[in-house]
Amino acid sequence: MKQAGFPWLFAHEIRLLWRGSILVRTQRHVLVPVIAVGIIFQAVALLIAWAGGKQNFSEAILILIANVNMIFLFFLMLARAMTSAIDVLYSRGDVDFLLASPIPPGRVLAVRMIGVAATVASPWLLLGGVLANGLAVFGHPNALALYVVIGGIAVLATAAAFSLVVVLVTRTGPAVARRISHSLSLVIGVVIFALGQAPRYLPKAPMLKFWQALMPNAATADSPLWLPGRAMLGQALPLAGFVLVAAALFWLVLALLGKNFASGAISAAAYAHGGRPGARTGHFRANPFAASMLKDLRLLLRFPGLATQTVYRSLTLVPVAMVLTGRIAIGGGPQVVVPLIVFLSGQLSLFFISVIIGSDQSPELFCSSPAQPATGRRAAYAAAGYGTLIIMALPVIGLLFREAGVFPVTVTFMLGAILCNLSLGQKLPIPLLRPQFGKARTGTVLGLILGVSISTAWAFCSWMLVTPNPLAILKLS
Amino acid sequence: MTATLVVRNLSKSFLRPVIAGLNLSIAPGEFYALLGPNGAGKTTSLRMIAGLLQPDAGEVTVCGINVLTDPLEAKALMAWLPDEPLLYDRLTPLEYLEFVAGLWRVEPALAKSRAEELLETFGLWPQRNERCEGFSRGMKQKTILAGALIHEPKLFILDEPLTGLDAASARLVKSILQSRAAAGAAVILTTHILDVAQHLATRIGILAGGVLRAEGSFAELRTLDGDSSASLEDVFLRLTRP
Repeated sequence: MKQAGFPWLFAHEIRLLWRGSILVRTQRHVLVPVIAVGIIFQAVALLIAWAGGKQNFSEAILILIANVNMIFLFFLMLARAMTSAIDVLYSRGDVDFLLASPIPPGRVLAVRMIGVAATVASPWLLLGGVLANGLAVFGHPNALALYVVIGGIAVLATAAAFSLVVVLVTRTGPAVARRISHSLSLVIGVVIFALGQAPRYLPKAPMLKFWQALMPNAATADSPLWLPGRAMLGQALPLAGFVLVAAALFWLVLALLGKNFASGAISAAAYAHGGRPGARTGHFRANPFAASMLKDLRLLLRFPGLATQTVYRSLTLVPVAMVLTGRIAIGGGPQVVVPLIVFLSGQLSLFFISVIIGSDQSPELFCSSPAQPATGRRAAYAAAGYGTLIIMALPVIGLLFREAGVFPVTVTFMLGAILCNLSLGQKLPIPLLRPQFGKARTGTVLGLILGVSISTAWAFCSWMLVTPNPLAILKLS
Repeated sequence: MTATLVVRNLSKSFLRPVIAGLNLSIAPGEFYALLGPNGAGKTTSLRMIAGLLQPDAGEVTVCGINVLTDPLEAKALMAWLPDEPLLYDRLTPLEYLEFVAGLWRVEPALAKSRAEELLETFGLWPQRNERCEGFSRGMKQKTILAGALIHEPKLFILDEPLTGLDAASARLVKSILQSRAAAGAAVILTTHILDVAQHLATRIGILAGGVLRAEGSFAELRTLDGDSSASLEDVFLRLTRP
């Protein structure tokens, strides 16, 4: 009998990854919106490339920018690849089945790794590719090297991710490994955000000095450290070298892991660790609301990636904190934080209620109980609202001290945004990574869009009420 | 004596009739096994009895309480165990029992002692503080069974309760259910393990095509079949033949 070939297995892998993606899980028709978004991106990228093409940057600056971007891209892809590697090695549950089939184990592992590389590269190929196309159109054909470089970074990140995941799972189990990958993506996200905001709160001179010190100069220009940056800029030899290094490292990791994968040692490592602990004390209550709220809070707190997702959503609090502490001033005065607080409250509550709904694996248990049907809904609202209020308490108290006059409006509109989003999320929870919805429920992009619209509407109305000049927000002073 | 469960003319259609005019009566202390081939309507019947699915017609009463008009009062007397052990993966068995006890308003001190006893009985005490995500199907099934027992219901509605259990656990569950029946609770369960029905059930109902084809004790079913030496498997296959 002929063995299943590499292309057949790869097509199968890509189909599984595609069907497992959040986009396909939540939307019936995905190709039309994806193509539409692609066209819009390309149009915007052409404008950016047209404007950017007129700038004359020195080669040293370009190499530095390219190198920094490659480092960020590598770590962002590494975090994503780690999560995907855990999924394809430990969560999908088909490794033992494939190892029991007549397909060579090395081929299975290679296909999984290439599949993960393709998955982590695809969003960046879409984002970076349109920009490269634009630059190529406006006289910089070397920019097309970006496609190759993104592929190379994805291959490197995947090789590193598989090695890290196998070591971490063997030592700590898949749950801790997944937490580390989430934390890594959080750290990278925060560093990128902090660097983006740095000019707002750091003096210009030391910043300039810092970047100049990093830039290649006459003595260091030929250092291999700059090869990745040069590859990104489309210089032929560095590009070829980068591709060769990436391929060699990928092959090395594949060869090193292949033997353990074939023997089943890699998949078996996940079972070597005991279950994760929960609460140690009993909290028995003869009250369906209290019992349901406690259960919802536990499910919320134990949702994988909760901290990462919450911190990402709460980055809005950075400008809020800066305005409240007087580090930056934005036209319109401190009242400008009111719409930000209202918007974030709405978004956080929608996220939390979606997590609670998405974690309710056994809704029938509640339905079969003698508790009032509304009790479960109220408990979910209370748990999600409680989580939101805990996060928002500090900025609201800060606002009370700084601008007490806007406090009533802030609290009223905050509660309005929270309640509307809680009701929305109960019916249309937003798509989440790794939800475990009960029967016949799923997250929806419509919920996401409506949630943003509702939060924006409440934020806009609050802004109209607290400021005498709504357009002043456009001025940075 | 008032029957614990009475089902009258229960009907349900999903494009085609799934259950047509089902009548059942189960007395306190009775162990009733509802058998039938795949798609016979067993799970649909149990879901309607548990108040999870609205019937098109008919009536269900539990200890004289109408499930359709007083669902919450009726549910307080029942325990429902689904065919799939859907458990909260991110809760521990102890936390799961806390939740179930809260829903059924079991007095906290009593709930705590029952929870500890049930976890010990089912051999889950060492895992009481571990999340259920890593549990085997059998361990999940035992956790759900413990949840069904914590509020001491008068009626157990169990859909394939022995699936996934090892021999020792299956024997334990059978003996627990028997002891609950001996204490006056009524049990209605579905199973594909005919041996369980033959040896445990005081009465057996055979459902096929949404219709109750036969009902009675094993001896009565044999008589109905006209072969006093037939096994339950023989009787079942003959009665459910299309």
